[in-house]
Amino acid sequence: MNTIAAHIADFLKDYQPFDNLTFEELSEIATSIRVVNLEKHKTLFQINDVLHDSFYVVASGVINLSVIADAEETLLNKCHKGDIFGLRPFFAKNNYMMTAKAREESIVYAIPIATFRPFVANNTLVLNFLLESFATNTPNHHDKENLRGKLISDNVFYSDQQSEIQYFQSLTYNTSPLTVLTTAVIKDIAKLMTEEISSSVIICENNFPIGIVTDRDMCTKIATGRFQITDSIATIMASPVITVVENVSLAEAQLLMLKYNVTHLCVTLDGTAKSVVKGIISEHDLIIAQASNPGVLIKEIKRSQTPKDLKQIRERLTDLIQNSIHKNIPISHITNIASEINLAIIKRSVELSILDLGSPPARFAWLSIGSQGRKEQLLMTDQDSILVFEDVTPDKYREVKDYFLRLGRRTTATLEKVGFDLCPNGHMGSNMLWCKSLTDWTKQYNSWMNTPGENSNDLSSLFFDFEIAFGEPKIEEALENIIFKNAKNNTLFFDFLGNDALKKNAPLSFFKKFIIEEDGENKDKFDIKTRALMPLIDGARLFTLHYNIKGVNNTYMRFKQLAMIDPKNAEIYLNCADAFQTLSKFRTIEGLKNDDCGQFINLNEMSKIDKEKLKNNFAPMRELEELIKGKFKLTQFS
Amino acid sequence: MLDWLKNINKEYPEFWKEYLSKFETKSKRFVVLSTETSGMSPVKDVILSLGSFAIVDNSVVIGDNFEAVLLQYKFLHDNGLSNEFIVESKMKKLVEPDAIKSLIGYIGNAVLVGHHIHFDVEMINAALDRLDCGRLKNEALDVDVMHRKLLDINDKQFSLDELCDIYKIPKSDRNSASEDAYKTALLFLKLKSRLGI
Repeated sequence: MNTIAAHIADFLKDYQPFDNLTFEELSEIATSIRVVNLEKHKTLFQINDVLHDSFYVVASGVINLSVIADAEETLLNKCHKGDIFGLRPFFAKNNYMMTAKAREESIVYAIPIATFRPFVANNTLVLNFLLESFATNTPNHHDKENLRGKLISDNVFYSDQQSEIQYFQSLTYNTSPLTVLTTAVIKDIAKLMTEEISSSVIICENNFPIGIVTDRDMCTKIATGRFQITDSIATIMASPVITVVENVSLAEAQLLMLKYNVTHLCVTLDGTAKSVVKGIISEHDLIIAQASNPGVLIKEIKRSQTPKDLKQIRERLTDLIQNSIHKNIPISHITNIASEINLAIIKRSVELSILDLGSPPARFAWLSIGSQGRKEQLLMTDQDSILVFEDVTPDKYREVKDYFLRLGRRTTATLEKVGFDLCPNGHMGSNMLWCKSLTDWTKQYNSWMNTPGENSNDLSSLFFDFEIAFGEPKIEEALENIIFKNAKNNTLFFDFLGNDALKKNAPLSFFKKFIIEEDGENKDKFDIKTRALMPLIDGARLFTLHYNIKGVNNTYMRFKQLAMIDPKNAEIYLNCADAFQTLSKFRTIEGLKNDDCGQFINLNEMSKIDKEKLKNNFAPMRELEELIKGKFKLTQFS
Repeated sequence: MLDWLKNINKEYPEFWKEYLSKFETKSKRFVVLSTETSGMSPVKDVILSLGSFAIVDNSVVIGDNFEAVLLQYKFLHDNGLSNEFIVESKMKKLVEPDAIKSLIGYIGNAVLVGHHIHFDVEMINAALDRLDCGRLKNEALDVDVMHRKLLDINDKQFSLDELCDIYKIPKSDRNSASEDAYKTALLFLKLKSRLGI
C-alpha cells in the first residue's frame, strides 16, 4: 500500500489516455513514477538529447514544447496539468526533436516507458490515443485550440519535410520475400539468406505462412548451440507469424511491431495467416520510411489522383524550402530537390490528363521552359511549357493537334489548381502557337535563330531553356540539336541574344543607389528578377549556346561549366555563379515572406548588412556584361 | 553521563550492526521522513505512523517508499485512547520493534529530510533505545531551516502548511504521515534547486 501512489493514480484517472485503465493498473503505474520538480525556465530535455526512459505527465505548472531554428525559439505547444508529452521514446529511436522547458515552476510525473508499454500493447484505446498524440503535428497553430487538453503534439518535423501524412503513408517493403518449406534444413536456409542478403525467411505450408526465421533466431538459437544446423527449419521458427494486409501504413506497422515485440511483419493477401504471402516488412523499412527523404513527396505525387492532392504536396514543398533555407542548406541543393518535385508534379499532371483523355494518338514531349526548364523554380511562379508531338500524316494532323491542345488545356488547368499561375504571355502547351509538331517547331527555331528580330515579338529567350517533363526524350534531344546546329557561327543570333541580355536595366544608379520602381503597385521596391537575376540568366544561356554546352540548363551549373571550358575567365563565371545563388536566396526569402513570386524586394524591410550584401552581388554582373560585349563585339548601342 | 562506557561492549541487534556498516560509503539518496506521534515528548509519547519517500537525482521515487501504522496497543491502553484509527487504516500495520527495524533497513545511510526533522529523529531514537540500539547516524536536513536560510530569516519558524502556501504546493484534505512526507519531498526539491545544492 502506497498512499501517494494511490493519490497519483487518482489524479491520472481524470486524464486521457489513463482514463482507459483501471484503478489497479494506474496504481501499478503510479508506483513506478518519479516526481520531478522543474524550476522556472528549467529544461527537461532538448533537441538532440538522447531519449529518456520515460514520458511525462504535467502534474502542475506549464511546460513549453518548442523547436529552435536559427537561434529563434518557436513555441509548438504548451502542456498544462494532465497533458502528456515526450512520447518520442515510444515510437522512435532517434533523439528528441523538440525542447521541453518549464514556463513556470512545474511538477511533472515521469512514467517509465518499460512500465507503460504493456498497457499500451494491451489496450487499443490507449494505443490509439498515444498514436494520435504522437502523430498530431501542429507546426501551424490553427487547430491548436481544438487540441487543448486533448492531444499534445510530440512529433515535430520542423526541419524535415515529414509530416503527419507520412505516418499514414503506405510502406515500401520487400515484395519478394524468401519462402521455404518446413522441411528445409537450417544450414541451407542460412546459405540462402546470405546469398540473397535477406534478414528473414518465411516458412510456408501450402503457400500460407506458418512461421518466420530471422537473423536473430539464427544468432540466439543456432550460434548458441541450442539447435544443430542440420535440424529442420521448423524447429527454430517463430510461429505464428504476425501478418498484415498489403497497404499497411507506417504507423500501423510500427504499432504492430511494438505490440507483438517483433522485428518483421509478413504481408499477406488478406492480412491473415491463411492466405498467400505478398511480402515482408522489416524494421529497416520503417526507418527508411521515416528518413527525411524528398522521395516520399515524389512517391506521393506519383500516387496522387486529383489536383487537390498535388496542391497539398506542393504546399509541403514550400514548407520544406522554407525550412531548408532557415537551416542554411546550400541553395543549389534546395533547388535541385525542389525542381525534381516540381517536375514530378508536372509529370503527374500530364499523366492525370492522359488518364482522362485516353492514350495520345502520337508520341509527344511536354517540355517545361523558363525557370522550371532551368530547374531554378523555388517559388510558385508562372507555368511555362511547350508541347511537341511527332510528325503525323497531314490527314491526321488536325485530329492529333486537337487532342494535344485538349491535353495541354487540361494539364495547365490542373497546374493552375496546384498553384502555378497561368503564364500571362501564354507560353504554355495549351496555346495553339506552342503546341505543334516537331517539324513546325524545327521551323520555328530556325526562323527565330536565323532571322532574329524580324518576328521578335514572338521570341522569348525562355524557349531556349527547356527540360522534358513528360513524354519522349528523343524529341527533346531533337530540339536541342536544332538549336545547337543553328547556333553554330550564327553571329546574327548571338548579336541579338547578347543585346537582349545587355538591355536589361541596371540594378544600381550612377551613385550606387538601388534603382527602385518609380510607379505602379510595386513602387519603391527593387525588382530583383529583372534587374539582378535575368542578366545573369541571360548571360549564362548566351555563353552555353556559344560554347555548345549541351544538357546543362541550370544557370548555376552553366556558370560552373563555363568556368571549366573558358578557364581564362573562370573567376568571372564563378563569381557569377555565387552571385546567382545569393540573389536567388534573397528572392526566395522575399517570396516566402510575402507568399508571392518574390520578384520585388522591399528594401525598407532589409537590414543594412543585407543591403550591402545584395549590392556586392551586383559586381560580377558588370564583369559579365563586359565579357559579353567583348566576346560578341557588341557595344551598348549596336 | 558515562552511558557510552556502559554501551561500549554491548552487543547490538543484527539489523543495527548492518545499519552501521552502511555508513562506510556516502549516499546520494535522500529519504524524506515524517512521523505522526501521540504528542510532543520524546520520552512519554510514541510514534503512531510513519511515512517516507526516497529522492534520487532530484526526483521523488514513488515506488521507493516506506509507510506503516504502528500498533501501539499498550500505549493506547495505558492512556485510555481509542485505537479505532488503526483498525480503519488500510496501511501496513506493524508493532513498534518491527516498524523501526524495517525503517532502519529502508533509510540506510541516506540523508534524512523532513519538516522539523530533529523531533522525528528524537522520536525514532527513543524507539531505538527501547530496542537497545544506538542513535541514528544519518545527516538530517530540515526544510524549515532551508527556507529560513534562503530568505535569511532567523526569528520565526514556519509550519509545513505555511511552507506549502509559500511554495504553492497543493494541500490535500487527507492528512497522514505519508501525505506530509510527500509534501515535504516536493518542498525539498524546490528549496534544493533554489539553494543550488
